[in-house]
Amino acid sequence: MDIKTEVLIIGGGATGTGIARDLSLRAIPCVLVEKGDLASGASGRNHGLLHSGARYAVSDPEAARECISENRILRRIAGHCIEETGGLFISLSEDSPQFRERFLMACEEAGIPTALYSRDQALELEPELNPDLLSAVKVPDGAINPFELVRANAKDAERHGAKLLFHTGITSLLIDQNQVRGGLALDLLSGEDYKIEASFVVNATGAWVNQVLKLAGLRIDMALSKGSMLITNQRLNQRVINRCRPASDGDIVVPNETVSILGTTSVRSEEVEDFEVTPPEVSLLLTEASRMIPAIRGARLIRAYAGIRPLFQSGGTGGDRQISRSFALIDHGERDGLKNLMTITGGKLITYRLMAERTSDLICRKMGVDVSCSTHLKPLPVVAESLRPKDRLQKIAPGGEVLCDCELVRREELEEILETMQFRDIRDILHRTRLAKGTCQGGFCVYRLLGLLHESGLVKESPNKVLKAFLEERWKGIRPILWGGALKEEELIESIYKGIFNLKDSVEFGVGSSE
Amino acid sequence: MTKVPMTEAKVWPTSNADACIRCATCMAICPVSRVTPLFPGPKQAGPGAERFRRPGDPSVDSWIDLCIGCHLCDMVCASGVNISELNLLAKAKYLDEKGRPLRDWLLTHTYLYGWLGSLFSPVVNWLLKNSAIKWMVEVILKIDRRRQLPGYQSPTFRQWFRSHHSKGDRRIAYFYGCYVNTNEVEVGKATVEVLEANGFEVTLPAQECCGIPMLGNGDFKGARKMGLQNVPNLLKTIRSGSEIIFSSTSCGHMIRHEYNRLLGIPGSEEVAEHIFDLFEFLRNLKESGSLNTHFKELPLKAAYFAPCHLRSLNIGLPALEILRLIPGLQLENIDADCCGLGGTFGFKKEKYEISQEIGKDLKQAIDRSKPEIVLTDCEGCRLQIRHLTGLKVLHPVQVLRDALLQRTDEEMG
Repeated sequence: MDIKTEVLIIGGGATGTGIARDLSLRAIPCVLVEKGDLASGASGRNHGLLHSGARYAVSDPEAARECISENRILRRIAGHCIEETGGLFISLSEDSPQFRERFLMACEEAGIPTALYSRDQALELEPELNPDLLSAVKVPDGAINPFELVRANAKDAERHGAKLLFHTGITSLLIDQNQVRGGLALDLLSGEDYKIEASFVVNATGAWVNQVLKLAGLRIDMALSKGSMLITNQRLNQRVINRCRPASDGDIVVPNETVSILGTTSVRSEEVEDFEVTPPEVSLLLTEASRMIPAIRGARLIRAYAGIRPLFQSGGTGGDRQISRSFALIDHGERDGLKNLMTITGGKLITYRLMAERTSDLICRKMGVDVSCSTHLKPLPVVAESLRPKDRLQKIAPGGEVLCDCELVRREELEEILETMQFRDIRDILHRTRLAKGTCQGGFCVYRLLGLLHESGLVKESPNKVLKAFLEERWKGIRPILWGGALKEEELIESIYKGIFNLKDSVEFGVGSSE
Repeated sequence: MTKVPMTEAKVWPTSNADACIRCATCMAICPVSRVTPLFPGPKQAGPGAERFRRPGDPSVDSWIDLCIGCHLCDMVCASGVNISELNLLAKAKYLDEKGRPLRDWLLTHTYLYGWLGSLFSPVVNWLLKNSAIKWMVEVILKIDRRRQLPGYQSPTFRQWFRSHHSKGDRRIAYFYGCYVNTNEVEVGKATVEVLEANGFEVTLPAQECCGIPMLGNGDFKGARKMGLQNVPNLLKTIRSGSEIIFSSTSCGHMIRHEYNRLLGIPGSEEVAEHIFDLFEFLRNLKESGSLNTHFKELPLKAAYFAPCHLRSLNIGLPALEILRLIPGLQLENIDADCCGLGGTFGFKKEKYEISQEIGKDLKQAIDRSKPEIVLTDCEGCRLQIRHLTGLKVLHPVQVLRDALLQRTDEEMG
């Protein structure tokens, strides 16, 4: 099944799908390969912040300007993926008032609209804020659903002729006289391999860029920075709450649908696949975030997770917080003498579209075609009428079987999704439905899902094996937050899996599994 | 009428939905979700849905109105989640937004017109039983015609008490409630007579409806208004050195728990310490050795049903303990959940079927027991059990009175 195309894009995150959409809107044929599912790297592992750019206004004005400009574009083209919550930068007694002044000025220079609120005004808007706060600056932050955004880009790209291949890796690059000509692809689920011939190859693999470049014997300087986040069981704030001080750990709480996400840490990492949130990170996030919202101390957490920020090092020293959040588009023809290969990395979720535009512009220049970008003008399509929490609440009664009690996913909804997608991996379903994303993190619903999949003959291997793989992955996310109510619930879930499903010896449960 | 400001948010109980571990024990006991798929059950409606409700958003979960308010979920929850309170708050928000029909106002404000019912009881009772009227009431007000609205009695309990001269060594105050006053005067008389037989002089503190009908219908404002009127009067009685008893477990539950916890009424904590269920009070007398136990043999086969609000008071089943002292009385404790009436719930046309379906279990349990009469502390349960079984249903104090006073008659004779 060899494929011939104009551009081969490696990486199915926001950037990769953004490029696929941009190119296909310009009628340039392209194929995207992704070794996992959509958004399985940093695009799906962030706090879902629609940046206003205010966070970078003081330290990185260029990134700030990019953010606010893309922020405005995304509100226009991706309204259905965004909740326009607004954001506050709050100053506490220990935060320097001089910083707040610099911050306000820097925002103005970057074109980020602000408004200064008194303590009382801020508390009226956000009653859970620390009552000791001095003031708050309002900025146009928001919440964005990264899965919806990436899915929307993927759908629009496909609609305009792009081909997207998931669970497919690139095992080698086809290189012919200092020029890339495509790559060898491997279907990771079926084991089938085939050739993809392309005039251009774009490496949009985020933290994995050097693994792809290695196939061409190349390397760029990257700083991989692990950022950890915690999710609360209930939403505590209605606006994005930031700390008005130089960027540091635990300075943001993003409201996202039914939860709040506390972020982040910044830990240098060499590992891109297998990383966990450590106890010191959990303590740090709780200590810092509860300075802003004291109720966080007593709130129940449902999961800890981390993503790897792919930061491009253009030189210079200093901590990872000092590296620019601007992106880098590298033409390996110019840099390394390997023509028609480019790497796009760095940047933020919010600037994915701009990154895609610049990359596509470069390809057009090389191709000698003159078609301009239109991704900032055309609205992204709505993928599936995904239900907002309110609609879910309304629909659970009457009748209908609810598979996931926490996120209120009905059997009906799941069956519809199974009809429209080609089922390959259980995680693909979870991303698309929010099943297993709630309080119990799938403890009570994934076995119901497996029952359904088994009935419809979609699971080829033993369901217990799939269940085990899911539980092991799940364990990573909940182990760091197991205390209090969450620990009690985990004991119950553990007894269900051990007692009813007899997974006793095969799953690593931390709680009481000393036998 | 004085305007009562809506309580500030801070007095509402805070949600502890986070404590739910999804064990679903509450789903196994909920009487409503057991009989209808229209209500998703306590776990979903309470801590589950709580994650999806946002302060500024209008409510959408119209099914929340189906929570019957029995508190059984709270009682079985091993994690101490205040499920029924979460439901009630959500229901109040939903009904505040949607608006309440005239029917709900009428059902919850009987205290305003009950005296009229008593005054014209012969006519009123005839009207209430008239099938043409019942049909009209169903069409216009959506009160189910299959349900018999309670009849009115004249004179009222309070009027009767005015000409009754209570005497005793110690004083006890009686919160009798609206229903005893205008609809089941006998229960009030029996309570007074039993207390007098135990050496108490009974007094009646100034009182209004306790407010539970409003609260059950999510009308916090109305309920709070009643509480704000009652608490100062009850405090006056308590501070003059008298304890208070109630014979209606629903009124009692309202005053003892909801006044403080849900409505934040000043002084309600002090009232809660001095107000007792009638049989709880008698049980205390028994424990201190001062209960009058000169009972006549009462050859009677009775079934006892413990109302939800009694169970929620966490005082055990004191009526059962006291009645078991009566020789000859064969008493079976009926093991069934909620009776299904839920105060005003079962009168509403759209909820009648659900109410009846819930009651089925109780009816079957009573049928199996084949009693001559049924005893229960709550007026709502009594109405429902009469409706379900056609049997004679009394308050336990009425049987206790018979066992005590007939003996006195004999002695006198």
